[in-house]
Amino acid sequence: MRTLRRTLRLRTARTALPVLAAVALLALFGGALAPQDPLAQDTAQLLHAPGGAHLLGTDYLGRDVLSRLLAGTGDSVAGAVEAVVAAMLLGIVPGIASLWLGRVFEWVSLRAVDALMTLPFTLFAIAAVGVFGNGLHQAMLALGVLLSPLFFRVTRAAALGFTQAQYVQAAELMGASRRWILRTHLWSKILPTVAVTTAHALATALLTVTSLTFLGVGVQPPAPTWGGMLASDLGFLAQQPWAPILPATLIMLTVGALNLLADAVRDAGAAGTEPARARTAAPAPAGRPHRAGPTEQPAPKEQADAPLPA
Amino acid sequence: MSPSTATATAAAHPATAATEPLLRISGLSVAYGRRPGRAAERVLDDVSLDARAGEILGVIGETGSGKTTLARAVVGLAPVVEGRITVDGEEVTGLRGRPLRELRRSGRIQYMFQDPLRSLDPDLTVGEIVGEPLTVGTGTERGERAGRVREALELVGLPAEFAERTPGRLSGGQRQRVSLARSVVTRPRLLLADEPVSALDASNRNHVLLLLDELRRSLGLAVVIISHDLSSLAGIADRIAVLYRGRLVEQGPAEDVLTSPLHPYTALLTASAPSVRREHRITPAQLRPRDPRPEWTLQPPADACVFAHRCPFAGEDCRQAPAAAAHGGPARTVACHRAADWRERLTADAL
Repeated sequence: MRTLRRTLRLRTARTALPVLAAVALLALFGGALAPQDPLAQDTAQLLHAPGGAHLLGTDYLGRDVLSRLLAGTGDSVAGAVEAVVAAMLLGIVPGIASLWLGRVFEWVSLRAVDALMTLPFTLFAIAAVGVFGNGLHQAMLALGVLLSPLFFRVTRAAALGFTQAQYVQAAELMGASRRWILRTHLWSKILPTVAVTTAHALATALLTVTSLTFLGVGVQPPAPTWGGMLASDLGFLAQQPWAPILPATLIMLTVGALNLLADAVRDAGAAGTEPARARTAAPAPAGRPHRAGPTEQPAPKEQADAPLPA
Repeated sequence: MSPSTATATAAAHPATAATEPLLRISGLSVAYGRRPGRAAERVLDDVSLDARAGEILGVIGETGSGKTTLARAVVGLAPVVEGRITVDGEEVTGLRGRPLRELRRSGRIQYMFQDPLRSLDPDLTVGEIVGEPLTVGTGTERGERAGRVREALELVGLPAEFAERTPGRLSGGQRQRVSLARSVVTRPRLLLADEPVSALDASNRNHVLLLLDELRRSLGLAVVIISHDLSSLAGIADRIAVLYRGRLVEQGPAEDVLTSPLHPYTALLTASAPSVRREHRITPAQLRPRDPRPEWTLQPPADACVFAHRCPFAGEDCRQAPAAAAHGGPARTVACHRAADWRERLTADAL
């Protein structure tokens, strides 16, 4: 928890969070904010440049681009969030369980995760849509399944080091239950790592959602999405070479902010063992805390980075 | 455990309560091995020890002699292959699952880890750490806990406002006190302290040792102090047990063991300890094996005396490991074939 509080003090986090907050607001209220109906076609005003009644111009069917961008945010972001939440449920719970449920469960879950990690995101999502019918939910749950190994691996790796910690052993000697140990001793140490992974996974999921909608999987064409707009704009590059920049900017801003936030959380976690308050408070007797700093936690930075696919 | 249940237990065994030691280890062998069934290496071999309530037992030995394993076996962290351990008349060896958890939750046995830096969770406050055995354990009301934590902190000499700090803001000596407070907050009957002072400077060492001495008086604890350092035990231990390579080579009242050791290894330990006084002492040089030494001691067989390869007095009979034998009373045992006559040979050689 202290790591998360420390994150808020970092400049990168302060840049990223307002952007993400704005995107979240757009996702929730984008449709209501849209000045015009994002689906209304106006054949008299095809491919207009920005200005006048249409602040960002119109597309090849005469639809207002600004309204489509605003209204499309919801579907794109909701899809990514849905995928990541599914991945967290499927990854974190078995990841922690694999530490305690014995060798058989550990072996089976690890092999299942290995198998899942070999599958490519987009193809698997398309296959899932092919089997379960076209829809954003099907595609996103499929994506969630594919992202879950990430959470499984990261949670497991982060927790593994701490289950051997002496204070965990001490708690076991007090007769503490696993739930108690998890809640009191392990969770606060795993949380920063999970937070980093979540931010990265959201960025990955968002990109996958946009590529899927770009391909026309998940959301049917008339409904606006960032990826769908990008796809249709590419067809009219000759008339409107600047058009794809608009949805692309939104995608880039969101993904970039998520990555910045992930970095900030990670940096805060790496600096976490340095007792920042001790320096300003009364001089620590014997000066031990400083020496203890870097060795206290086995570098959560490397652990957080290692399992992330580029 | 509350005082009322303590008296209840004592009343239940009126005959044994007075005489039976609180901790009784008999014939304990511990072996670590990756697979059961395969010949595993014995870390402890046939160790028998007692500790009474209100008594401090010092366990001494060099690195790898099995001292920590001895304490870990008592709390169920080491695989016991033979022997029995009883605490307060109750057998604790081979406990598993629910009975083990209940014993641990009762807080009657406390184990103090060697490293106070790593055994305290850096994210919790001192109050949370000290109160954890109560929160996890049984028999304490929620409202009582804060008071008990304050009491425990006071007992180890830490001001109450330390409860709000995290371990990162404490010095080494203060951390060791927190660790101690956590161990006594449940009012245990038996406290196993693993190298409680090895990481501390001289003044902190004395503080912590005096504290242990005080605690066993005020709480009637049996304390087992594990140490590699003879001088830290000399002042406060009532009895001392010497371990060498997993064997108990000598035990007895601290004074006797330190001033007139019966085993050559103990003699070597006392001779090696720095001391200001230098009167009729044995020097370490006198206890070094001299050539020609018996051929077999260079590669001693498995059942030979464990000290034979370092012992200047090793003879043919040392090919068989000596059994621990009482010497001048039941309180003192030594495992050495030469216990009676090695001193004479020492003076004879010195001449």
